[in-house]
Amino acid sequence: MAATNTAAAAATPAPAPAAPAPAVQVPRGQVDLVDFIDWTGVECLNQDSSHNIVNALKQLYRDDEGLYLASDSDEQLLIYIPFMQVVKLHSTLIKGPEDEGPKTVKLFSNKEHMGFSNVNDYPPSDSLDLSPDHLAENKPTTLKYVKFQNVRSLTIFIEDNQSGSDVTKIHKIALYGST
Amino acid sequence: MICIDNSEWMRNGDYSPSRFQAQADAVNLICGAKTQSNPENTVGVMTMAGKGVRVLVTPTSDLGKILACMHGLEVGAEANLAAAIQVAQLALKHRQNKRQQQRIIAFVGSPVKYDKKVLETIGKKLKKNNVALDIVDFGESDDEKPEKLEALVSAVNSSDSSHIVHVAPGENALSDVLLSTPIFTGEEGGSGFAASAAAAAATGATGFDFGVDPNVDPELALALRLSMEEERARPEAIAKKAAEDSSTENKDHASSSNTDAVMTEAEPSSNAAADDKKEQPKEDDDLLQQALAMSMEPASGSAAVADAAMADASAVDPDLALALQMSVQDANMSSESDMSKVFEDRSFVTSILNSLPGVDPNDPSVKDLLASLHGQGEQEKKEDKSDKPEDEKK
Repeated sequence: MAATNTAAAAATPAPAPAAPAPAVQVPRGQVDLVDFIDWTGVECLNQDSSHNIVNALKQLYRDDEGLYLASDSDEQLLIYIPFMQVVKLHSTLIKGPEDEGPKTVKLFSNKEHMGFSNVNDYPPSDSLDLSPDHLAENKPTTLKYVKFQNVRSLTIFIEDNQSGSDVTKIHKIALYGST
Repeated sequence: MICIDNSEWMRNGDYSPSRFQAQADAVNLICGAKTQSNPENTVGVMTMAGKGVRVLVTPTSDLGKILACMHGLEVGAEANLAAAIQVAQLALKHRQNKRQQQRIIAFVGSPVKYDKKVLETIGKKLKKNNVALDIVDFGESDDEKPEKLEALVSAVNSSDSSHIVHVAPGENALSDVLLSTPIFTGEEGGSGFAASAAAAAATGATGFDFGVDPNVDPELALALRLSMEEERARPEAIAKKAAEDSSTENKDHASSSNTDAVMTEAEPSSNAAADDKKEQPKEDDDLLQQALAMSMEPASGSAAVADAAMADASAVDPDLALALQMSVQDANMSSESDMSKVFEDRSFVTSILNSLPGVDPNDPSVKDLLASLHGQGEQEKKEDKSDKPEDEKK
């Protein structure tokens, strides 16, 4: 059974003016959850104001290679994404540059308004250890589905990056799941 | 979260009556401004010295509670800026409404014992947690205190949300100096409270036209502005009218140009007195009759009445004011006899009648009036130009 890859309908649009967008393999039966994000409540701690979270999350911004999310004071980032309805999260795709892309990513489901000080007090719902291949390819990483059955809000904590530099850069964060 | 410096240095009298008192006044002012500018704002107060770094009141919107806790504060010991900022951060983290922005306002009136590096690290931590910091630097400026505090604020600052103010000792009260700073006015563009307080303190230009804040009283501000415009437009209209009238010979041409001028003048005047519009046609008729009557009477008798009538009319209609003015002029110039004057009157009257809404020039009564005017004018011409009161109104 070859893995049937649905067409890139849900995720990326036709070749953008900046660079031709490669086809993303959206997992079967899942949709891109970007439509369910409650944009008024999206927050990102320690982001650089000129390179902010919108660049990585929003539909057209995230496919532009020139726009990315960058951290400010140090390499950690804390992203809080509320949803407009309860969703089930299946997989996620994170893209970034090879050296400054994120390495350790912790995901917390339904934890409101965490700060950097208490982020390590709770066990994460899931934790990803990304390699440069993960960041370059277009295949979403599957999560522990059972932990994300009832997600009202998602907190993404990026602990460090690939090269250990002071600035973490992320080109795209895409979330796939179902309602 | 406001951090008060109640260390031993605050007994100094270089800010009247004492540093501590000046600081307390400033704190009261800031609390009032913040709570008034947005009902969802909360303010908390804590001390940096005295019995130690402790929170006097957790963030609340109750101004009374905040002012009450300032009472009976003792002055002594040394201020611990780093610990105070950390405690303030903790207090802000546990605020009830998580959607509020976090901000620390620190009054530093005594020497800072930490070095620049430590302060910069603290600043970065604040920036990482999205906390803004305002610093009021007063007291002595030795030992690089201003530079250290500047470094701290620039480490925290992201997109201009954090500020620092240096207040030198002198006659100016601490609170007065703070009124004009961004610490007070905030990013929302100035609360009404702060703006009016600043206006009261800074004698002179308030920045608002007519001394009325459009935010506070929009109708009053609008009414004042409209009356100003009307007042400005009236002398211009009169001047334009006089210029046009004096330069015409051809009746038709004059009437058409006058009509245009009258139409355009009627426009601003009708716009200005929007609610008077309904009353205008009626008033115009009455006043027009009055004006015509005036122009037939002797000079001395009519002058006073004409002035009174002019005062009334000019409040309503600029071109009517012009007509009255001209009628007074006619009364004064007793030996005038040119036909052109009569023609002007007639064309002017015609044009006025044309411009009045609801008055049809083909109406028989109007035509009679015009005929009588013309007849009266000829009668005047025939007579000895001695301005006998004919009193034949029609």
